[in-house]
Amino acid sequence: MSLLRRPGVGYPAAALLVVATVGLLKVFHGLTDSTVALVLLLAVFLSAWIWQSGPGVLAALLATAAFNFFFIPPLYTFTIQDPRNVAALFVFLVSGLLIGRLSALARRRLELVEAERRDLAALTRLSQAFLADTNRESLLGVAVDRLRNALQAERISLWLADEHGGIAEAASTPGTAVRSDLVELAWKQGNSAAFPSELGGTDIYLPVPVGVQRAGVLVARGLRSSERMAEACAQLLGLALERERFLALARAAEETKASDQMKSTLLAALAHDLKTPVAAARGAVENWAASAGPSESAGLALDQMKALSRRIDELMEVVRLDSGVARPRREIVAAEEIVEAAVARFGDALADHSLLLEPQPDALVEVDPGQVTEALGHGLENAAGYSPRGSRIQVRVEADADTVRLQVLDTGPGIDDADRERVFERFVRLPAAERTPGSGLGLSIARSLVAMNGGRVSLAAAPGRGTLFEIALPRARR
Amino acid sequence: MSRVLVADDDGAIRKVVRDALERSGHEVETAADGEEALARFDEGAFDLVVADWNMPVLDGFELVRRIRKRAQVPILMLTVRSEERDKVRLLDAGADDYVTKPFGVAELVARAAALLRRRPGLAEAPAVFRFGRVEFDREARSVLRDGRPVHLTPTEFSLLSALLSKPGAVWTHRQLMGAVWGTTAGVSSDTLRVHMGSLRRKLEPDPDRPRYIRTEPWVGYRFTPESAEGKRASTRRDSLPPG
Repeated sequence: MSLLRRPGVGYPAAALLVVATVGLLKVFHGLTDSTVALVLLLAVFLSAWIWQSGPGVLAALLATAAFNFFFIPPLYTFTIQDPRNVAALFVFLVSGLLIGRLSALARRRLELVEAERRDLAALTRLSQAFLADTNRESLLGVAVDRLRNALQAERISLWLADEHGGIAEAASTPGTAVRSDLVELAWKQGNSAAFPSELGGTDIYLPVPVGVQRAGVLVARGLRSSERMAEACAQLLGLALERERFLALARAAEETKASDQMKSTLLAALAHDLKTPVAAARGAVENWAASAGPSESAGLALDQMKALSRRIDELMEVVRLDSGVARPRREIVAAEEIVEAAVARFGDALADHSLLLEPQPDALVEVDPGQVTEALGHGLENAAGYSPRGSRIQVRVEADADTVRLQVLDTGPGIDDADRERVFERFVRLPAAERTPGSGLGLSIARSLVAMNGGRVSLAAAPGRGTLFEIALPRARR
Repeated sequence: MSRVLVADDDGAIRKVVRDALERSGHEVETAADGEEALARFDEGAFDLVVADWNMPVLDGFELVRRIRKRAQVPILMLTVRSEERDKVRLLDAGADDYVTKPFGVAELVARAAALLRRRPGLAEAPAVFRFGRVEFDREARSVLRDGRPVHLTPTEFSLLSALLSKPGAVWTHRQLMGAVWGTTAGVSSDTLRVHMGSLRRKLEPDPDRPRYIRTEPWVGYRFTPESAEGKRASTRRDSLPPG
């Protein structure tokens, strides 16, 4: 069949078919005119079916002429005696042309449908292959071969965006070079180019779309399938690349999460190992004091153990902050609740001071309540540590339209202006603070915790005398 | 006298907790890991379990889950985790309370005593319960304060009833919502806070400094029949009226 349908074969073949038919009809002489006409029309039909419209028309004309010359009396002339035969010949010609046309059309339709079916099957196979691949390297490695088969092309070359914002050939099948100027054009402007190839078929340069952007350029040389098919393949490739990118992102997120979880677990185990001996020692001293009666030494040991435990807390908090696992989980809470929670938790440190709470209902903030409570706790400890025993510590909530301020005011000696920022650095302790136990970590922790929650910690001179510790947070609305 | 099971992988902690509980008149058995604790638990009847969260073989979290499948015995956890969400997870799994290492022995004994006041096998609130000057009568659905009836809304009554069913235990927000509304869907901890505030105004001697219905910041609520924690109450606090 394919031999019969080579280019250039059509017209002579159609003529030959008509001639052969006439010869055959002359061998079986004595056939009626109508039989002859039907057989000739069959030859026209076949010519149009096999060699399409042009040869079909030629066959119809030849058949009409042959019918007249060989079968309509007077024989072997083109003259027609009986006027009825003129009409018959005319009807024959029209029928021949119509049959030829219809037959060629039907054949063409069939071929289109067949080509579309093949394209669809190829696209389906291609998408299945792309979906099965979850790794970029292996995807690209086999993509060009699969595309070559699907597009019936001589050569496929795939160009992808590189990390410098340019474009480079990422994969290709062996073969002749592609024009990089057309690749650039498709990449920069999103224009596709298609023109007849010296390899036969079409050369096509197609942008590979990802959403409204482009992931790269697909080049097919000597393309046999349709341009539409090539475009569909480019789109499919874009989807496959996009999918692969999202899979990689999801994998990375999963890994980060797993690593964060592992860090959290390790840190929890570390905290457990550090705290358990302190807990045991504290319990032992308390039991001892309970059986032997309280003593100054027991009291001292207990105080020291509480201090040790607090230092461990601070160190653990610093490690958590540095390892990046202390991500805030925000919710909307009343600032007052944070004050209440901090006073409840750090009440021990404030036992030697008188505490003045100024409530302010309805001031809402959206923060990780545990973290901000911890930060405020450091402020309270600071105030307790650096103001005289028995003095007053004031805790208040101030709120304006945009900001909620949690404030701790003490009546201690205050901090010099020059030192106010320095004390937020890690391990920085002022000479005046040497008699107060502490690690120099509290304020730095407080600042980090509050910053993670979108706020800011500052120190200022309190009105009159002392220090004002302030956590400023954006006000939340419900 | 109550029987207490103490599970901790650290020998020193076991000794300290055992001494403290024995001194306050309890009988104590110990286990060095979660699996041993579970085996001990199955052998004898205990009125209270004190367990470390961080144990080898079977950790405290898993121990709580398995004990909860077997019995309603009160469970007090020892933990170093200061993160509220970890505590909530522990409580939601069925623990009743926790103390954070390094805990004070006095605090531990007080918490244990509060949990032991729960009568064994009684999941519901006792018919009549007195705290401070309040008398709660479950059968009659009435609450008296200083002998005079106090009107509680049905939600407030359910809340109080739930809290009284486990004196000393911490309830997470989720647990209370589940107990009162039967579901946690569509109920926010805000709603809970509002009802709790109203309940306190009706029952607490000083609603701004609640003695009986305590807030566990970011975790939930706890009903303390009598002020068990001397420490917290000793912090002197002055409060100014709002504004």
